[in-house]
Amino acid sequence: MNYLFAACAVIWFLLFAYVFTIAKRQQKIQDELARIQELLDHPRNPGK
Amino acid sequence: MNFFSQAAAILWKDILTEFRSKDAITSMLIFGLLVILMFYFAFEPDRLEIEKFGPGLLWVTFIFAGMLGMNRAFAGERENDSLQGLKLAPISWAAIYLGKMLANLAFMLLVEAVILICFAVFFNFDLVPRLGWMLMITLLGTLGFASVGTILAAISMNTRMSDVMLPILLLPVILPLVIGAVSSTAAIFTDPPGEGLAFWLKFLVVYNIVFLTVALLLFDFVLEE
Amino acid sequence: MKLQTLFALLTFVVMLAALYAIFIYAPTELTMGVVQRIFYFHVSSDWISFLAIFFAVTYSIRFLMTGERELDTKAAAAFEVGFIFCTLGIVSGMIWAKPVWGIWWTWDPRLTSMFVLWLIYIGYLMLRRLLESPEQRARLSAVFGILGAVDVPIIYMSNRWWRTQHPQPVMGGGESSGLEPQMWVAFFLALTAFTLFYLYLWKIRCNLEQTTETVETLQRQIEIRLKEAR
Repeated sequence: MNYLFAACAVIWFLLFAYVFTIAKRQQKIQDELARIQELLDHPRNPGK
Repeated sequence: MNFFSQAAAILWKDILTEFRSKDAITSMLIFGLLVILMFYFAFEPDRLEIEKFGPGLLWVTFIFAGMLGMNRAFAGERENDSLQGLKLAPISWAAIYLGKMLANLAFMLLVEAVILICFAVFFNFDLVPRLGWMLMITLLGTLGFASVGTILAAISMNTRMSDVMLPILLLPVILPLVIGAVSSTAAIFTDPPGEGLAFWLKFLVVYNIVFLTVALLLFDFVLEE
Repeated sequence: MKLQTLFALLTFVVMLAALYAIFIYAPTELTMGVVQRIFYFHVSSDWISFLAIFFAVTYSIRFLMTGERELDTKAAAAFEVGFIFCTLGIVSGMIWAKPVWGIWWTWDPRLTSMFVLWLIYIGYLMLRRLLESPEQRARLSAVFGILGAVDVPIIYMSNRWWRTQHPQPVMGGGESSGLEPQMWVAFFLALTAFTLFYLYLWKIRCNLEQTTETVETLQRQIEIRLKEAR
């Protein structure tokens, strides 16, 4: 029974890790988008 | 010019350039001999072990030596910037593929012939009674390898690490071919020939037909810009 | 967006039902014990990883025929999520094999094909990463994807035929040998749940890919503008 529990934990861990990386990448790209938006709103002083 | 004479022209061009430099063939040949040498010292095989491991050894050598040649096939065109010219020539791109593939096939067969002779001599293995079958299997196996390898070499030459990328793409795809070639070679290595021979030969023919067709259909997309 | 939320809810509900069916509704298998319950996850992931490559390749073929970039992002997303399920299938298979057969790995045709399929997925993803120009990346990876997908049935059959020549000890019964009706229910629920989950992951992965591409285009435009301004 413990073995089964561990096995399922591994499977679900892998899936959630993947979902997590997707979320992380999405967050990163959203930040980038916000930065670009900022650049477009204030074209005089490009941020950085 | 019809399709086949176009392909023949490409083939002839590649053979001429290769025989001026002899880069690819020399490196493939020396590599093949080195593998056989390494194999001898790694396993020190006796007669029975040769029957068992010989087919695998031969095909591993053929494939890795062939891969060296494949990498050259398009790398040369790229280095000399002649691919653009080739693409602008009034020929169908599938003919470029066929010509290149036949050139690779010819170089590999040449190298394989030498490796086979060395194998027979070094390991004291009598190939003569099996020569007909051996040639047929080698031809079929190499044809399949060249047809998949040429299109994948054309793909991988565009990447940053093309020499590493080619084996990564090529080896999983040719696994069935390796199984077929090694099994049929193993069948003729025993006396009398094993029963799987006819089956695996048919398998190799089917593999060749499938991949040659798919590669001819897809090659246009590889060169497109 | 609304539709996607609805779909997520549906996936969640089916997933819960599948979990219930797997752990509570389905009876415990006699010879293998509770460990047999991994079977539902394992076969579902295997199923998805084989399905995914064909699903992905239909987009690749359509991309090559029409040249629409959107189809390429869909194919790429389908390949990547398929790779995750393929990994999952192999890992869960090993976890299952250990207590049942006593070994982590055997060169059984199914396992070997899964492994080679996994290598093809990796090749595809690496190729995408290493090709720089977006148009070239789309075309070349589509070509490799098609070659790989054509190869999948051939790999499986060649492994099977090779196995018949090299007999190996029989390890455990076939997995579908005599499933109880309740087990079938759990099995199909798990299959549906995994398929829905795959499609859901694919959808969010598509969105990510499309946003990434938009941002990349914007970045390029900004760079050009900045150069002009200087």
